[in-house]
Amino acid sequence: MKEYDDGSLVQRTLDGDRAAFEQLVVRYQRPVYNAALRLLHDPEEAKDVAQTTFLSVFEHLADYDPNYKFYSWIYRIAVNESLNTLGRRKPHEDISGEEMDRSPGPDRLAESEQSRAAIEAALMRITPELRSVVVLRHVMNLSYEDMAATLALPEKTVKSRLYSARQQLRAMLIHEGTR
Amino acid sequence: MIDPTQLALIHAEIDGELDDRQRAELSRGLLADPALRALRDEMQRLCRALDAVPQVEPPAQLRTDIFAALPHVQPRRSRAARTAPSWRYAAVLAGVLLTGAIVFRMMDFGQGSAANEMSGTLAAPRTAVAVDMVQVSAEGVSGRVGLIREGAELALNLQLATNAPVDMVIARGKNSMRVKGLGTRGSPGAQPTRIALPGFESGGGPIRLTFMRGDREVGQAVLKESTGH
Repeated sequence: MKEYDDGSLVQRTLDGDRAAFEQLVVRYQRPVYNAALRLLHDPEEAKDVAQTTFLSVFEHLADYDPNYKFYSWIYRIAVNESLNTLGRRKPHEDISGEEMDRSPGPDRLAESEQSRAAIEAALMRITPELRSVVVLRHVMNLSYEDMAATLALPEKTVKSRLYSARQQLRAMLIHEGTR
Repeated sequence: MIDPTQLALIHAEIDGELDDRQRAELSRGLLADPALRALRDEMQRLCRALDAVPQVEPPAQLRTDIFAALPHVQPRRSRAARTAPSWRYAAVLAGVLLTGAIVFRMMDFGQGSAANEMSGTLAAPRTAVAVDMVQVSAEGVSGRVGLIREGAELALNLQLATNAPVDMVIARGKNSMRVKGLGTRGSPGAQPTRIALPGFESGGGPIRLTFMRGDREVGQAVLKESTGH
């Protein structure tokens, strides 16, 4: 199958070619799902967010400005959907870091797994806004410029949030003796 | 106490966003300050651990669920077309097609000679290859026009809104035709619409679109086949 770039697939979708949209789904379902999963820490909610993201992309495809990167646009929708989902959670439904810390059980995990679980738990204890930049940088591997485009924020703000997030994570992990 | 500037340089180094001057500045700071070196080591370990958080495969059901829901969703018109309140005549050129037979008048732009007439054909909605697309922003006409190739034939995919009826002349070399009355009140909503271009065979030069109100030109756009795939 010929590999089309994102812009061509968008245009073909707008021309009525649903197979082109399927290629976009195949291309982006993994990063979109993983972004949502790391923001929400709930596989079922992440799946719902990913589905809603792609349907929203399809429905609003005519609004996509081809002067911008398609993935920045789709990641922005995914992040916003995830933040909306977090906002709808009742307080007792929020998955706290402490709760997640208990689940692995240090005696049942290798050190690296323990460290990973602690990091994922710490991630859930920083604010969603800070978590978003960490996910975009470390899960999606976006540059500062792409993160700024995705979040519709100035690059300076993105950097400030990323640095704050890392320092908070570092402080939490030091406090817990993980690092 | 760590200097915030040095701390920012540590983060930028981790993210691969340092330039040569900043790298030299950070190196000097690291040489001079053991606490800064320790912090840098900590941050590097943290970021390696964050990078190592594994990616997981999405559930196989995800793709199925997305496509099961698609028949209930249609791409909307562009935001500009949806929100222009004064565009009471706003309509996509689909309306022209749905009215049935559209009459195109053959004309020769360059010479202004007597026009021939021919019938326009409605291109059936089928898979097409996008060749070029142009944004239209003319007096009272906006949106976009795509040039698509269907086998050896060419067609236009229109998504335009107008604030009053307008004609569009499609021309390449001596080959031209005129689509009359786009945006006539009562035309259907803005869905992508195809207009077949009989006689405009694939492989020719640029296709010029001229928007006319009566004899007055209100805008132009050009589509090129060479920019396609």
